[in-house]
Amino acid sequence: MSSAKPKSGAPGTGRRAARPGGVLLRFLARRLAAALLLCVGITLVAFTLTQLVPGDPAAANLGQQAIGDPAAVAAFRAKYGLDQPLPVQYLTYIGNVFQGNLGMSQQSHRPVAEDLAEFVPATIELALFAIVVSLLVGVALGVVAAVNRDRWPDQVLRVVSLGGVSMPTFWVALVAFYLLSFKFDLLPGTGRLDPVLSPPPYTTGFYSVDAALAGQWDVMWSALGHLVLPSLVLAVYTVGMLMRFSRASVLEILGNDYVRAARAKGLPERVVIVRHVLRPAMVAIITVAGVAFGSLLSGAVLVEKIFSWPGVGQYAYRSAVNLDLPGIMGVSIVVAAVYILINLLVDLLYGVIDPRIRLT
Amino acid sequence: MKIRRSAGALTAAVALSLLTACGGGNAAAPSSPGGQGGKTLVIDTAFQLKTTDPARMFEPTGLLIDQAVYDTLLTFKGGDVTKPVPALAESFTASDDAKTFTFKLRPDAKFSDGTPVTSADVAFSLNRVKNVKGNPSFLMAGLTVTAPDPATVVVASEEPNTAIPFILPNPALGIVNSAVAKKNGASDAEGAGKSDTAEAFLNKQSQGSGPYVLESYSTTSQVVLKVNEKYWGPKPAYSRVVVRNTQANVQRLNVQKGESQIAVDLSPEQAKGMGDLQVVNGASPNVFFLFTNDNPEISKISSNPKFQEAVRYGIDYQGLVDLAGEGAVQAPGIVPSVFLGALPAADGIKRDVAKAKAALAESGLQNPTVKLNYPSDVQVNGLNFGDLAARVQANLKEVGINVELAPASVQTALESYRGGTEELGLWQWGPDFPDPSNYLNFLPGQLVGLRAGWAEGAAPELEELGAKARTTVDDTARSALYVDIQHKMNEGGPIMPLIQPAQILVAAKSVTNLQSNALWLVNVRELG
Repeated sequence: MSSAKPKSGAPGTGRRAARPGGVLLRFLARRLAAALLLCVGITLVAFTLTQLVPGDPAAANLGQQAIGDPAAVAAFRAKYGLDQPLPVQYLTYIGNVFQGNLGMSQQSHRPVAEDLAEFVPATIELALFAIVVSLLVGVALGVVAAVNRDRWPDQVLRVVSLGGVSMPTFWVALVAFYLLSFKFDLLPGTGRLDPVLSPPPYTTGFYSVDAALAGQWDVMWSALGHLVLPSLVLAVYTVGMLMRFSRASVLEILGNDYVRAARAKGLPERVVIVRHVLRPAMVAIITVAGVAFGSLLSGAVLVEKIFSWPGVGQYAYRSAVNLDLPGIMGVSIVVAAVYILINLLVDLLYGVIDPRIRLT
Repeated sequence: MKIRRSAGALTAAVALSLLTACGGGNAAAPSSPGGQGGKTLVIDTAFQLKTTDPARMFEPTGLLIDQAVYDTLLTFKGGDVTKPVPALAESFTASDDAKTFTFKLRPDAKFSDGTPVTSADVAFSLNRVKNVKGNPSFLMAGLTVTAPDPATVVVASEEPNTAIPFILPNPALGIVNSAVAKKNGASDAEGAGKSDTAEAFLNKQSQGSGPYVLESYSTTSQVVLKVNEKYWGPKPAYSRVVVRNTQANVQRLNVQKGESQIAVDLSPEQAKGMGDLQVVNGASPNVFFLFTNDNPEISKISSNPKFQEAVRYGIDYQGLVDLAGEGAVQAPGIVPSVFLGALPAADGIKRDVAKAKAALAESGLQNPTVKLNYPSDVQVNGLNFGDLAARVQANLKEVGINVELAPASVQTALESYRGGTEELGLWQWGPDFPDPSNYLNFLPGQLVGLRAGWAEGAAPELEELGAKARTTVDDTARSALYVDIQHKMNEGGPIMPLIQPAQILVAAKSVTNLQSNALWLVNVRELG
């Protein structure tokens, strides 16, 4: 990913050994500055594209009678600054963003920042749960498939992973909901909590964490229970994808001389796989997992819809259909920021997994 | 070894949390007593909600919620929207010219903070709706509210307005605690559109005198109501009401499983085979209608009266009713069947292909091709515009009219519809208030009439009848006038009422006294 480059030489170069902290700080500063520019660029693209869409935000948000009342239309336009020329609208928006004000949402009638503080953690909680499950299951099965290359476990897992990546998520969601929640009553259905419970006091926005912090154990278990089904559905695709990448990556490593040497030394197979194969294979896997996590965040719309999960996907959808420009821009900035942060995290993880990789 | 141990521990922890979480998932049955005290009612609906501030709220989910939170001067009982009944006003009188309505307030009504409801609160709330210039402001257009004494409210209209008793039950005209609201930025003065900043506060803390107060509010997930301990009327049956944003097919499963008690948005097809549940099935007051633009500048074809006649008799209304499913009915006129002045079902247009073909021949048009616009991404009562449009296309093909379908997202389509530039349009009208005067909008020169290119002066006789209906006070006389208007609209003109879809509520048997209301769908306060 971008500027982190694997170096095939010996671990620990002189430069890195001399001022590792300085290099890291410079790297972070450069990346964050680029991220800021990227976010501004994304707002410009989102703003321009939204203006190109035919349709009037006033018509989208006012009722059939109010739209016929010039005073109501004028009040709406004035309230949201739509009576200003487009460049002024954009510059005002950017100016406000730098002061931490993302504007007022036309569809929820609340500050966008408040909306995002509520909806983004809901989606991140879901995506985190899904990515942890995906990593555990996907990598484990990928290793099993690679170790048993072209034997029956590999063939079976190939079908499983192919199924995972090719089944439409909304279909999986409906079937899983019907079977696991409705038919066999194994898992709770929609929403983030049982309706009889109230959300925990806001600390992180993750219900499971906030409930634990508040000592509300019934709420925590309910929150965890409600996470299971939608995150498993989301994980179906990422498990399939990670399994395929893990298999390919492990197979590549298995062919190396040092693996043969480890085996020749008489190391147990488990040690060979975990220490000498899986660790180097993780570089490629982490890259894919980073991208998968980003797509989980932005692609959870249908799953959120089916499971009535109040996440940023649903918010983005509602913003789009209501031509709610501040909402659309807010979501764009957040999604961009999350992608950038994940990329950064993945780059840093490379160094942890493989010390030969240095920051340049 | 260290790595392996921690990985193993992590796996075990996740597995344990999954298992335990699964086990705890269904621990609490929503309707069972307990939880956080008393019975909880869960209503699933696909949210159409932007706010619960009465002065700005005019969406279906907002109406359902605010009806439970805010009292109005008058209200409707059960599903009967033809007779306004007392609420905060224990009685009212109307002047003979239908310009002045005087309401006597009941003395025992209190807000959720225990302070009494006075005429000043009523005047403030209604004037605020008028001056905030939000979606429901039109309800107060031309009306002035005064409070001559603490127990009396006078609503005066510039023009005779027989609809006032039917407008006032709208939850957007709910009475707010003016003292608290003012402290938190509310204003009823002119220019309140800018100066009133109380919306965020009212979305956190409701200030009504109804049986419930807001506990939590979200436009995307759920709204929770809890019982108002200071409520002046009989205690409601449920101590907590959770209204959840849920899409229709999941609503079906939830209500079957017992996770929710009421599902609001099921289509007739989805409501079939519900076994042990109750299904309240009736015609919705929403009317789907077709128009052929009467403005020759928009289309020489659609404005041709004989072409309009060919379309009117070419449509298979019964086929559309069948498509809409059980509970749907043909809209015999533009006024819905549940309102005063509605036409009897027998007066609806019947398909007559021969007559339609003859009319087309008389029109002088050879194999005309027209474009039919409709919103493709919205459903009303579980019914797609696209399905209806395809059926209309097939019907008119038999007559010799080629219809090109022009679907668009609702926001795009609304622009051409409201601009009056659509050649043919397929839309629906949901009532703003349950009075036939709301349907005068369909006459020439009025809101919807203009969208269909029907300019003022296009049908003088009809317009005269409309003006008369607007000022007639006596219900029998005005009912007759509306019947007359609709007969004339069915004889000619660009607007063709098609169907009223089914309005279905599916609920657990434990919920009693459930009736479908044209305005707020479910009356939470009446449920047992």
